[in-house]
Amino acid sequence: MTLDIRNLGELYGKVSVGDQTSLGIMGNNRDVSVGEIFMIYSHRDGHERVFFFRVLALQNYLRQVDDMARVAGTLMVEGDAYLSGIQRNMLLQVGGKMLGYAELEKGKWVFRSPRRLPDHLADVYRPVPNVSDEAVRKMLASQTDGEVFIGNLQVGEATLDVPVKIPSKYLPMHMGIFGSTGSGKSNLMMVLIKSILDSNLEASRNPNEKRPRISAFCIDPHDEFAKGVTACGIQDIVEAMDQETRASVIGDFYYLTTHLKATPREIQRYGREIRILWEEILPHDLYTIMDFTPQMVSFIDGQYAANRESWISAITDMKDDPEGTPKGTLNAVQRRLRFIERSPIFIRSGSSILSDVFVAMETGRVLVVNTSLMSDTEQFLLTTVIARTVSDLRRAAKSSGTLGDFESQGAIRLPGPFFNRIKARAKSFYSAGGQSDESGVRDPRDMPVILVTVEEAPSILNPELMRGQSVFKDLSRQGRKFNIGLIVVSQQVSVLDNVILSQMNTEVNLRLGNEREIQACIENASVNISGFEDEFRVMARGEAIVTASYRELPLPVRIPLFDTLFERDKSRYKASKATRASEKHTF
Amino acid sequence: MLERILTDDFRGKLKLTFRDIENQQDRSDEKEFAKDEVRIREELLDTVTPHASDDTLDEDYLIAAVDGSGSGDLMTLDDVRVHLLSTSTVVLDTNTRAGDPFRPLDRATLENAFGRAQPFLDCHWHSGVRGDARTKMADSLAEIYPLKDSDALVLPFFRDIMKRQLKSMSDLSGTNYGAYTSSLGTMESLITREQMLTNPAVHDELRTASEYAAARIVLTSSIQPKYLLLDGAMSIFMHQARQYPSMPSGFMLRELCSLAREKHVVLCAVSKNHTIPFAHRIARMAQEAFGEGSKWFCLLPGSEDPGGGLYIYQDRTYIPPRLAVPYLFSFSMDNRPSRIDFDRIWWLENVFVQDDPSKTRENEKALFQEIEFMSRDARWYGYPVALALAHEECKLSYEDLRLAREVAGDVRHELGLDPRRTTPYREDFNL
Ligand SMILES: Nc1ncnc2c1ncn2[C@@H]1O[C@H](COP(=O)(O)OP(=O)(O)OP(=O)(O)O)[C@@H](O)[C@H]1O
Ligand SMILES: [Mg+2]
Repeated sequence: MTLDIRNLGELYGKVSVGDQTSLGIMGNNRDVSVGEIFMIYSHRDGHERVFFFRVLALQNYLRQVDDMARVAGTLMVEGDAYLSGIQRNMLLQVGGKMLGYAELEKGKWVFRSPRRLPDHLADVYRPVPNVSDEAVRKMLASQTDGEVFIGNLQVGEATLDVPVKIPSKYLPMHMGIFGSTGSGKSNLMMVLIKSILDSNLEASRNPNEKRPRISAFCIDPHDEFAKGVTACGIQDIVEAMDQETRASVIGDFYYLTTHLKATPREIQRYGREIRILWEEILPHDLYTIMDFTPQMVSFIDGQYAANRESWISAITDMKDDPEGTPKGTLNAVQRRLRFIERSPIFIRSGSSILSDVFVAMETGRVLVVNTSLMSDTEQFLLTTVIARTVSDLRRAAKSSGTLGDFESQGAIRLPGPFFNRIKARAKSFYSAGGQSDESGVRDPRDMPVILVTVEEAPSILNPELMRGQSVFKDLSRQGRKFNIGLIVVSQQVSVLDNVILSQMNTEVNLRLGNEREIQACIENASVNISGFEDEFRVMARGEAIVTASYRELPLPVRIPLFDTLFERDKSRYKASKATRASEKHTF
Repeated sequence: MLERILTDDFRGKLKLTFRDIENQQDRSDEKEFAKDEVRIREELLDTVTPHASDDTLDEDYLIAAVDGSGSGDLMTLDDVRVHLLSTSTVVLDTNTRAGDPFRPLDRATLENAFGRAQPFLDCHWHSGVRGDARTKMADSLAEIYPLKDSDALVLPFFRDIMKRQLKSMSDLSGTNYGAYTSSLGTMESLITREQMLTNPAVHDELRTASEYAAARIVLTSSIQPKYLLLDGAMSIFMHQARQYPSMPSGFMLRELCSLAREKHVVLCAVSKNHTIPFAHRIARMAQEAFGEGSKWFCLLPGSEDPGGGLYIYQDRTYIPPRLAVPYLFSFSMDNRPSRIDFDRIWWLENVFVQDDPSKTRENEKALFQEIEFMSRDARWYGYPVALALAHEECKLSYEDLRLAREVAGDVRHELGLDPRRTTPYREDFNL
């Protein structure tokens, strides 16, 4: 067999009692903490298995002592008492949860949910950094592999060099990032952006590997990502790249902002101003982000039917309630549209960024969107318009057999002027070969994965708004068909709509604010993590429990600080021959 | 049964029994105790002067302890019984200089020094019916005890009892024992209680011999402890007519004592449950005299000692045991007094000072200061920790025994022997 037990870690103890879900271990009285992962080696009938066990409870145990209180009492009362050789007899009774086991099958390690027991009195190993990494990496490959790195496997207080990644094919099945303020959500987003860039870099350097490109539209509400939270940011990656790499991975721009002038010079060079034409907005977009009465909805729908893409100007220019509309409706709708009128980014005329965003999303690029100078409503509308636009275009492609079909589908679904502007590019992206009307259309699953982040998610993904015609409701249900995924970032889980939560297949659970959120996180997790309450309570910033429906094992992960990762990898963004050769092993 | 236990009727029966005891025994003994009381208080009883807990000894030393356990019923195959015997030897280092007092020597060191596993497990079989009980038992004992030369085994007893230098068995001729020299030549001939070889008696003898064997291995090993502690008393069952031990273990004990003296090891035996009458009264006297919670010891003198034996045990010929010096002691007011026996020959040479009671007392106090110091483990406060640890290590729990029986069954199966149930017979009937 390929397993060398010595590489599991240090021998810690023995299995004492248990069933297939919970185990008791008797071990050395070392400094063990809740949340540690132990491995139990079992060899039975020619099957070598390594069980993974997570510590949930600890209790001191003194061998040869039935009544600990009596001994403690004696030590108190008889001031001269000692305990002979007690070191050896001070044991720790460790209770915890069986996470599953790894087993070699046809030369490959597979991981299975707990449904077996380790041997009686089996040896328990405690992983040790620099010793166990490789063995654990191998055994847990099926649980940690993927394209998008998020952190390293944490085993209690130690972290192993076992990178935990998310497979890009599961990204369209949506991801949640939950954590209270200061838990490290922004840093995680930056790490994610870096990993996506790294993955795209890898894809562009190895075109034959058919590695999917990943696009991301990343809302940055505090304008932290480009410059960074502490020392480095995405801009540093961009600058570390040579021309060629930058052209292929970053393109002309990656930074979107309301006022480019307020942006530092070096970032300005890769920046664009966010401008969306009124005509590019659909009523559906508004329904996604705010509540309208049925009267208002029917009024808006009427105006849209009559005026098509100029519906917003038509309404804002209107003086009196039109015939048959209940009094006050116009006023109320106008009031709601006022933020668009006043917005510097939603413009009546001029040039829009939407086509460029669309192109970026279809070519595997990452956009950092500084929304710090926008109102929440502006930010939500922006996200909605982007998400709806890219998804409607993919939807149109998906429901078309030929480019000709696509053109008519697109014309129905999207605002006319916008579609006319981009349809030529769109056809080139979606064509399975050739540009004629008869040419076939590619499956969206062969197109880049598009990720859209929804920040401050509870404001738009709450049950009230999701009841109506939410773009995000459609996306959460059907995103995988179009290869579009949501990254929902939220401080709370409990207030999110169930449709969103139930469609989410990857959760990064960071430190949470209170018991209610802990409970909601545990209930929402895609694998059973009941019993992890204590761990959530002791989690530090940058620590997460990653759960995924496609994995058996809940993975405790330590997310590195972006700066550390960048420092480690910065030399790899220059395409020299040497880095080309070594990259395969690093990203 | 519970319904009987809870009846007034049962209480009544108990009352009668206790009254009877009070009336019959105590009344006469109470008088005896009264005769001893002053002597006990003024001559025999004294306080222990404890070391301060942070005292550093001038010279740290080792303390060894041996305990054993076993079952005479690992397996019963018709009239053959398999005895399971376990012993454990623990060695502690007073280690006061390192500030980690009474640190046990690790197992590997002990196994290395003793040349056997620790704890040690052994088994022997015995057949009681075929008339060869004595032969079989002698074989087992000879196997167990490391000293194989029978003269060397028996001579120490005779030397000690007659206080004579005896070079060989022939030196016995002309003494009271001269007539028996021919029955002292083999292990088998040393078993003179053949008619009493019941299963428990056989098992006890095997067990005692195993413990003595373990102790002897300590004495001949490179470990040179200052103390060697045994569990129990230093009693020897004597053949009434011949006036020498009726079983080989009696000779073994004396051989052990003489070897210990030779190696300058203090050999002693500690028993928690002893048969000293009025021990509780002595304890009360100590409390009254020295205060609550005082630590004390009390010599239980024999007829050869100045002032003779105590009245309270004058009818009990086994107190003090032949060639032993017992003391009662208590180091903790939570516990009833325990008893410790020393080899009388050693005691005469090292503790007792002829015609100088205060010198003798000084020696006793120094001795008990050390015994007390080694008895302060919080788990077994007042009892020598080395013995407690040895006991913990060698004890066979019900579960251990059950597993041992299962293994025994397996082994029979492996050997292709006819399958036998290994559980005790009573379990066939769920008893
Ligand atoms: N993985 C990590 N390791 C170490 N420190 C971290 C990690 N992640 C974040 N931090 C530190 O914690 C602080 C807060 O992190 P961050 O801004 O990412 O939290 P947040 O969840 O986005 O908070 P908010 O809800 O306020 O936006 C920062 O100072 C950051 O340096
Ligand atoms: Mg943040």
